[in-house]
Amino acid sequence: MLFAAILIAVSTSAQVNKISIQASGLTCSLCSNAINKALKSVEYVDKVYADIKNSSFDISFKPGSQIDFDQLKKKVEAAGFFVAKFTVFMNFDKVKLEDDAHIVINQVTYHFLNIKDSNVSGEHSFQVLDKGYVSAKTFKKNAIYTKMDCYKTGVAGTCCTKSGVKEGNRIYHVMLL
Amino acid sequence: MKNFIVTGIFLLIVPAFIQAQELFTYTEPASNMPAKSIGIRLTNNLMEESVTGKQNYHLVPELMWGLYRNLMIHAQAYISNRNNSLVTEGGGVYFKYRFYSLDEVHDHFRMAFYGRASFNNSDVHQPAIDMVGHNSGYEAGLVSTKLIKRTAISGIISWLHATDNGGGNKFNQLPAGRNAMGFSLSAGRLMLPREYTSYDQTNLNFMIEMPGQVNLKTGAMFLDLAPSVQFIFLSKMRLDFGYRFPLVKDLGRTADKGFLLRFEYNIFNAYK
Repeated sequence: MLFAAILIAVSTSAQVNKISIQASGLTCSLCSNAINKALKSVEYVDKVYADIKNSSFDISFKPGSQIDFDQLKKKVEAAGFFVAKFTVFMNFDKVKLEDDAHIVINQVTYHFLNIKDSNVSGEHSFQVLDKGYVSAKTFKKNAIYTKMDCYKTGVAGTCCTKSGVKEGNRIYHVMLL
Repeated sequence: MKNFIVTGIFLLIVPAFIQAQELFTYTEPASNMPAKSIGIRLTNNLMEESVTGKQNYHLVPELMWGLYRNLMIHAQAYISNRNNSLVTEGGGVYFKYRFYSLDEVHDHFRMAFYGRASFNNSDVHQPAIDMVGHNSGYEAGLVSTKLIKRTAISGIISWLHATDNGGGNKFNQLPAGRNAMGFSLSAGRLMLPREYTSYDQTNLNFMIEMPGQVNLKTGAMFLDLAPSVQFIFLSKMRLDFGYRFPLVKDLGRTADKGFLLRFEYNIFNAYK
């Protein structure tokens, strides 16, 4: 009985293989290097591969790390720039995804938008759509995919508590690519 | 008539250089240094006195600090040999606060305001006001910079107020007054590399800037043309080489043309 209760309490798991960040506001390599060094300074970052021409950075992580997307975004901003596109490459293990609903994966709450309800396995990528992760224009455009307040604020409001998410918890709004 | 011609040149030259980098030689862009980074600069100016032909050497060592992503502070010392031996004549502080940024990939429009306070104990010898190595006083300004791919254009408008210099040297430049309006337009071109493959590639930028000033009491103006080349090494060091000369020189300066050579080194994540 207790054994079964423990199994149910474990949240869905998946592993982040890589994150790809495209930054905005820069062209030159000196600027790109500022972002490169900022991302490398995060302790759980293993390697950063910088594509200077496209202003993008592929980040791999040390095994077993708890990755904080907001922290990575803040590093880009601290370097003086902004995130244009934030793509997460994740290995799913038979995870049931529902459109416009919340799901907890590795203690992080996600809200998938504009997807077909499906069971996913293997590596898939998704883009983070929250404010500061896309251009202001794109953020406004994607608001059509949900009526919940949490999209605008990035945290759980009264809209979200019925799915078991605690009010005030960070929710990442994402779209499968 | 002369001013009309100059304005014409101004409007023709700038669009011709619409491919650039924003790290200008003679002015600061609206962008800031990364937070927690430190920069060190050594700027050398060799300016020729128009009346005597004498060469004046000015050295400005500078320490730059990125406090937050949108606020940076500089501290400078002013060293010159204008009065025949190389002496430290003063120093100054500068801050820049970026208050607006609209960014897209390879594109941005940014605005910042800046302030400067300088101290100088040398004699005041010209009606034009220069807060970096000649006058004590204050300056406040607005910078706007537009980056489009390899292009950057920047404009500055500022107000300068000269106080009396130290050492009993008064600002006695009548009929010129203590207040002036500064302005500049800058454009730059990223010449090399043709394609980015590594942080170790040397960058070559070509800039053209037009700094100027109008004395608010007399309306007298100077407007300079200041082309420069800039090398960026290992994506952290910078070498600028420039030459400036006047197009309009109604607002007098003792030494109004000469060379600039600057070395800059940046330390990212200088502290936790």
